[in-house]
Parts: sequence; C-alpha cells; structure tokens
Amino acid sequence: MNAAALLPPGDAALFAARLQMAFTLGFHVVLACLGVGLPVLLLVAEGRFLRTRDEGWRTLARRWSKAFGVLFAVGAVSGTVLSFEIGILWPRFVAVFGPVIGFPFTLEAFAFFLEAIFLGLYLYGWDRLTPQAHWWCGVPVAAAGLASAWFVVTANAWMNAPAGFRLDGDALADADPVAAMRNPAAGAQTTHMILAAYVVTGFLVASVYAAARLRGEERPYHRRARALGLAMGCLSAPAQILAGDFAARVVARTQPVKFAAMEGQFQTEARAPLRLGGIPDEERGETRFALEIPGALSWLAHRDADVPVRGLDSVPAAERPPIAIVHLAFQSMIASGVVLLALSAWAGWTWLRRRRIPESRAFARALLVAGPLSILATEAGWIVTEVGRQPWIVQGVMRTADAAAGSPRAGWILAATLAVYAVIGVGSFLALRRLARRPLPA
Amino acid sequence: MSPEVVVLGATLVALTLYALLGGADFGAGIWEFNTALHVSPRERALLRRAIGPVWEANHVWLIFVLVALFTAFPLAFAAVCRALWLPLLLGLLGIVFRGAAFAFRSVPSPDEPRPFHWETLFALASTAAPFFLGASAWAIASGRLDVDRSGGHGGDPLLGWLNPMSIFGAFFAVATCAYLAAVYLARDARREEGVELAELWRRRALVAGAWMGLLSAAGLALVATAAPVLWEGFRGRAAPVVLVSGLGGLSSLGFLLARRETAAVVGAATAVGGVVLGWGVAQYPAIVPPSLTVEGTKAPEAVLRPLAIGMAAGAALLVPSLGFLFYLFKGKRPAA
Ligand code: HDD
Ligand code: HEM
Ligand code: HEM
Repeated sequence: MNAAALLPPGDAALFAARLQMAFTLGFHVVLACLGVGLPVLLLVAEGRFLRTRDEGWRTLARRWSKAFGVLFAVGAVSGTVLSFEIGILWPRFVAVFGPVIGFPFTLEAFAFFLEAIFLGLYLYGWDRLTPQAHWWCGVPVAAAGLASAWFVVTANAWMNAPAGFRLDGDALADADPVAAMRNPAAGAQTTHMILAAYVVTGFLVASVYAAARLRGEERPYHRRARALGLAMGCLSAPAQILAGDFAARVVARTQPVKFAAMEGQFQTEARAPLRLGGIPDEERGETRFALEIPGALSWLAHRDADVPVRGLDSVPAAERPPIAIVHLAFQSMIASGVVLLALSAWAGWTWLRRRRIPESRAFARALLVAGPLSILATEAGWIVTEVGRQPWIVQGVMRTADAAAGSPRAGWILAATLAVYAVIGVGSFLALRRLARRPLPA
Repeated sequence: MSPEVVVLGATLVALTLYALLGGADFGAGIWEFNTALHVSPRERALLRRAIGPVWEANHVWLIFVLVALFTAFPLAFAAVCRALWLPLLLGLLGIVFRGAAFAFRSVPSPDEPRPFHWETLFALASTAAPFFLGASAWAIASGRLDVDRSGGHGGDPLLGWLNPMSIFGAFFAVATCAYLAAVYLARDARREEGVELAELWRRRALVAGAWMGLLSAAGLALVATAAPVLWEGFRGRAAPVVLVSGLGGLSSLGFLLARRETAAVVGAATAVGGVVLGWGVAQYPAIVPPSLTVEGTKAPEAVLRPLAIGMAAGAALLVPSLGFLFYLFKGKRPAA
C-alpha cells in the first residue's frame, strides 16, 4: 500500500514533510534541553566534590557523565538529521533565505565543536587530567550548550519575525545577518527556551530520583541527586513564567494572528477577555466553553484593558493557522507552567522553614509527574510557535507550501524516519536504564 | 581575497578534515566486520579507545560543511539536496546508527557483555555512511547531475545520481576509510599495545594501502574517460596536488614497511587529503559542475564578509581546543 494514501488527500506530501519536521524537532528538543542543562548539574556536583572532597559528589558526577555521553550522542545524531532535513524538505526556503539565517547556524557549528571537544575531554579525561583541570573542561560544555541553543533559536525567531533582508521579486537582494539575528522575537524566544532547558533538566532529574524514593531506594546518593535537580527546576520555573509573559507580549505585538489563535480570539475587540480552557469552533467563529476573565487579555497583551486585541477576523481564512491545535497547546503549556510553579512554591516554602527539601511521599509523587510535565510544556510551546505561524514558513513572506520539495515520497520517508527513531528511542532508554542499575560503590 | 573564496576554501578544508578524521572513525567500524570474526579483547579495546574521545568532534566537520554551503552558496546546497536526497538520506541513516550504536554498546549489560546487535549495526552503519556519502560526492564530481542555474533538478528524482563515477566513488570512499583507519590504528597499537597488535594492524594497513593504490589508478582512469572537464582540472591546476597526494600514498607504504607508523600516518593523510583538496581545486570555480558556480550561487556580499570573519574568529577558538584534545588522547603517552 502506498504510505501517502494514509494521509489526507491534496497536499499529502506537504503534510508528511510538516509532520516529519515536527516529529524530528520534537525528539531533538528533549535531548537539546538536557544538553544545555545537564552540564550545569555536572559542574555543580563535581564542584561540590572539589570543595568538600566528599566522594559521594564525585560518584554522582561520574555516573551522570556516563548518561550524558549517551544522551549527547543521540542529540548529535538527531541534530544532524535536522541539518539534512532543512535542505531536503524545504529546498526553496534554503535557496532564498539560507544566507539570512545561515549566520547563526555557522556560529552554532563552532559551538558544537567546542561542546564536542570538551565533552570528549570531560568524559574520557577523568583519570588523565587533574581534578581542577577536569572541572574546567566542563565549563565550555555548559557554555557552548547554552550558546548553541541561543543561536538556533534566534534563527527560529527570525522565521517568526523576519528582519534584516530585502527581496527583489522572489530573490534575495540584500541581507544583513546581524540585523536578522536581532529580530524582534529573538530576545523573548531565546530567554524562554534556555530557561525551558533548565526547567526540563531540573525536573526530569528530580523525577528520576523521586521514582527511586518511591521504590524505597533512598541513600544519600539519591537524596542529593534529587535535591540538585529540584534546585535547578525550582529556581528556573518562576523565571520561566515571567519569560513566558514577556514572550506572549512580543507575540501580541509582532504576530497578532498567532496570538489570536493562541487565545481563541475570533473578533477584534477592546477589553478582550482571557479565556481559560475552551474549544475554538472555527465554523461558528467563537471559542466555546471557556472561562472568561473580562478585559484580562487586553491587559496581559498590552498592559491596558482598553486596548483592542486583533482577532482572527482581521485576516482571510487562508492566512489563519489551525486554531484549535494552537489554542489547546498554549493552554497546556500554561497549565503545566502553573503546576510547576506550585511545586516550586511547595519546595521553596519547606526550604525556608526547615532548610531542607520536602521528603514526603506525596511530594515525591508530585515530582514524578513534574519531569514529564515540563517536557509536555516544551513540546506544547513549540507547537504554539510553529503551528501558530502557519501557513507561513517565514511569517508574511514565504508560505510553507511554496518552500516544500513536494517529493511524492515524503510519506515513505516519514514512515522510515518513525521506524528509525523508534529504534534509537528504545535503545537510549535501555542504555540509560542499564546505567542506572549499575550498583553504587558501597 | 574575496570573501566567497575564503568561505569556499574554509569549507573545502573542513571537508578534507572530515574525510581524514571522520573517515578514519568510519574505517575503524568497517574493520570490525573483520575483527568480529577473530576477537581479541585487547583489539576491541584499542578500537574503542581510538574513537571514543574524538568521534563527536570529528563529526562536527560535516555539520560545518553543510551550514557553510547552506549560508554561502544556498543555490548549490538546494540543488545538491534536490538531486542527491536519496543517497544523502541513506548516508544519514548510516551516520545515525553509527553514532547511536557506538553510544549504546558502550553500556553493555552484565549478562550480555557483547551487545551483538549494536556491534553488528555499528559495523554496518560505519560502512553505509561513507558508501553513500562517497557516492554523493562523486556524483557531484562527475558533472552529470542534471541541475540548472536556479538550483532546480531535472533528472530522475530517485536515481538521477547513479552513474559509473558515483558507483565507483561509493567503494572508493569505503576503501579510503578502511585504509586511513588501519594506518592510524597501526600507530596507536605500536604506541600503546606492543608488538603483536601493531604488527597485525601494520599488515592490514599494507594490504589496504596496496588496494588503495590500485583503486586510485583506476579512479584517475575513470575520471579521464567519464569526466573530461574534471580531468582537465586534474591535469592542469590541480596537478601538483595530485602529485603530492600520490607521493604521500607511496611514502605511507614505505614507512609501513620500515615500521615507522607515525610517518606513515602523515603519508596516508597527505594522500587522502590531496584527493579531496585536488577535487576542489580541479573543479573550481564550479561547485556543482557544470552549471552551478561560485559566482552564480553565492550569497550577498553583506553576508559573506561577516561569515568569513565569523569563521576566522571561530577557528581561533577551535584550533587550540582541538589541538589539546588530540594531544591528550593521541599525542601524549598515557601514564603507565
Ligand atoms: C518548561 C517549559 C515551559 C513552560 C513552563 C512555559 N513555556 Fe512557553 N514555551 C516554551 C516552554 C515553556 C518553549 C518550548 O520553550 C517555547 C517554544 C518556542 C520558544 O521560544 O519557547 C515556548 C513558547 C511560548 C510562546 C510562543 C512564543 C512564540 O511563538 O514566539 C508563548 C507566548 C509562551 N511560551 C508563553 C508562556 C507562558 C505565558 C507561560 C506561563 C505559564 C509559559 N510559556 C510556560
Ligand atoms: C530549539 C531548538 C534547538 C535547541 C535548543 C538545540 C540545541 C542543541 C544542543 C544543546 C545540542 C548539543 C547536543 C546535545 O546536547 O544532545 C544540539 C545538537 C545539534 N543540533 Fe540542535 N538545537 C535545536 C534545534 C536544532 C535545529 C533546528 C537544527 C538544525 C537545523 C539543529 C542541529 C543540531 C546539530 C547538527 C547538532 C549536532 C551537533 C554535534 O554534532 O555535536 N538543532 N542542539
Ligand atoms: C526544537 C524545537 C522545535 C519544535 C518542537 C518544532 C516544531 C515544529 C512543528 C510542530 C512544525 C510543523 C508546523 C506545521 O507545519 O504545522 C515545525 C515546522 C518547522 N520548523 Fe520547527 N520546531 C522547533 C524548532 C525549530 C527551529 C529552531 C527551527 C529553525 C531554525 C525550526 C524550523 C522549522 C521549519 C523550517 C519548519 C517547516 C516549515 C513550517 O512548517 O513552517 N524549528 N516545527
């Protein structure tokens, strides 16, 4: 049977290419988050060892570095897939705009070099370098991880709020790569993404060791590991909410249609309400079953309840994104953010009163879901960003349909990709589990 | 020098380093087909130690080549992606499974000390990657891809890249990787493992080197008959590079016979590096011959200039870091 037959008729090839992009990016971003966050935890753990000479901290750093080695390898190959995909799936996008956004990608390549080089030194240098030198080899890994996230997200922000180029008909007439990197969405998106990486890493690590606590394995090793992850998560989650608010205001200003879809705002109106939940109904042109807070959306977007918020009615239907998906994804991100904030408050409260993290089973259970929830928030946020930009690949400038290769085999490629990723996904899981089960030194 | 020439030169150097370093990592995996049959734990340990610390860094050269083309010569990149999507995706499959399998098998489970599936996958993928990347490179070099000046592809979307040169190139690339790996491993073994393994790898390197000599002669003959334009370049502008490459190859055999493995590494790297550099020099100013040239595909000046500066600044960070990595794991003798 032809794989494309399984897809909706019409633009089956385009649809398959979009799904392919979404799936491979969604996979990569989880590893990317850990690539940004884990080196920081490694530095803290090994730094504690250097300060206290307590072998327990070093054991922690050594075991985590093994896991990081596996995760980094899978992150690197999944990133390589993306580099090929951009050209193979969207050749017209690259042919026209490669020069505009290629600059941050090139700088990112240098960040990858530094990350890979110092990771090699870090992973294989435990016994070849002095402890101090070894710790310092971790610093470029953390810095380069952060830098690579920053570079690549400026490129994505440019797709949302393009700047720094001039077109001559369909062709690029001139470009200013630095102005392109300083596009209006870059600040908000890069901040929000980098914080997301710390939120994800922190809560995921805390989740893993909360599971150990619930299984009854509770040695100082597990408690320390959990506390470290929790600290990272709880420190970054509140900042993440602020960054999210900043991101939302930037979207309201630079991408009003995406903003309207996020909020399920069909009509342009002053004193627009904030909708909690609800199902956007495109036929009827309204969002039903939502809890509405009058004027709150106008206030959130523009810090003034009387300023009108542009609705989806301001553009023809062909220029609107899939509203229900965007609204639902946005609501999921916010809900997850609120839960993570509540958890941070719980932990922070206990810390202030007792100078320790909460040890109860109830808290461990809550932590168990916090890791997956932070990944959910990240994926949902990216769905908001990317699906909310549709039908544009470059907001207002180039349509996704015009960028695509339109290969009739896109369905097959997608099927093969899913199979390959299933293998490496399962392989990573098994490898990490084997690592976790290695006995601790007595 | 104009910025597009700087950027193109940097890209060509990166491609050469990918062949020399990434290629040898693939080659070590190709040899595992062989070593899997008569295993000695020390031999396997040597292979892993040789690749472990450096393969991720060696892999980034490929990323660099991709993004540099993407940014500086976008039409050429789009054309290559359209015409060669199939071999590139197959090569990518090899890269993905090679990397993943290397990571997974480094964490064996206690009851299965040799994770057979990952070992096999590693060897297969290490062969597939250079096979298809080699086919892609030689398909470009053949000058027979049906691409137009706007980066479109008019040939058969599935098999337009198949021709005698690309098929030869696939095997040539696999042999090149195996040869490089054998020479490098002979040196590593001599320094770390003592006589027995060193002699084993030296013999393998000699055999692989002899094959490479034959293949290279055949390759030149093929270029002369199948790609006359490229052949003109080889006979003209690139002749000195080809000559140095050939001498490097011969010297590597001589040094191997004399048991001077470190010198043999230099010879082998000169030979292989000369092939890649010579190709670039021979076909300049074409990027995807015959229709896509530097002039016809380059990005605006305002992009190329900061790009060249960015590359220079990046190199200033990269070179010492990379130097330290190789010094620690390849230069400095391990403490006994
Ligand atoms: C830990 C993950 C996480 C959490 C808790 C939140 N977000 Fe988020 N959000 C992301 C992770 C994320 C992300 C995955 O990182 C995105 C996707 C694109 C981006 O730059 O960040 C994102 C995008 C994103 C966007 C779209 C930006 C654009 O399209 O340019 C907005 C408006 C918000 N977020 C707003 C919020 C608000 C108001 C939150 C508070 C409740 C919130 N986010 C919590
Ligand atoms: C939000 C988006 C992204 C973030 C935060 C991000 C971040 C990262 C990080 C931290 C790594 C290091 C590897 C690891 O730790 O596992 C990495 C690897 C990589 N990423 Fe991404 N990335 C993103 C999207 C992309 C995209 C869109 C592309 C390509 C077009 C890409 C290409 C790569 C490549 C090629 C690597 C491998 C580098 C190597 O070999 O070491 N990434 N990414
Ligand atoms: C890593 C986190 C990311 C995730 C989870 C993500 C998710 C998605 C999704 C869901 C789509 C499909 C949208 C649709 O067609 O409805 C998409 C498309 C796309 N994304 Fe992203 N994205 C991420 C980051 C990036 C980055 C950093 C870049 C580039 C710099 C990028 C470039 C693209 C391109 C070129 C497309 C295809 C064209 C389009 O649909 O607009 N993405 N992504």
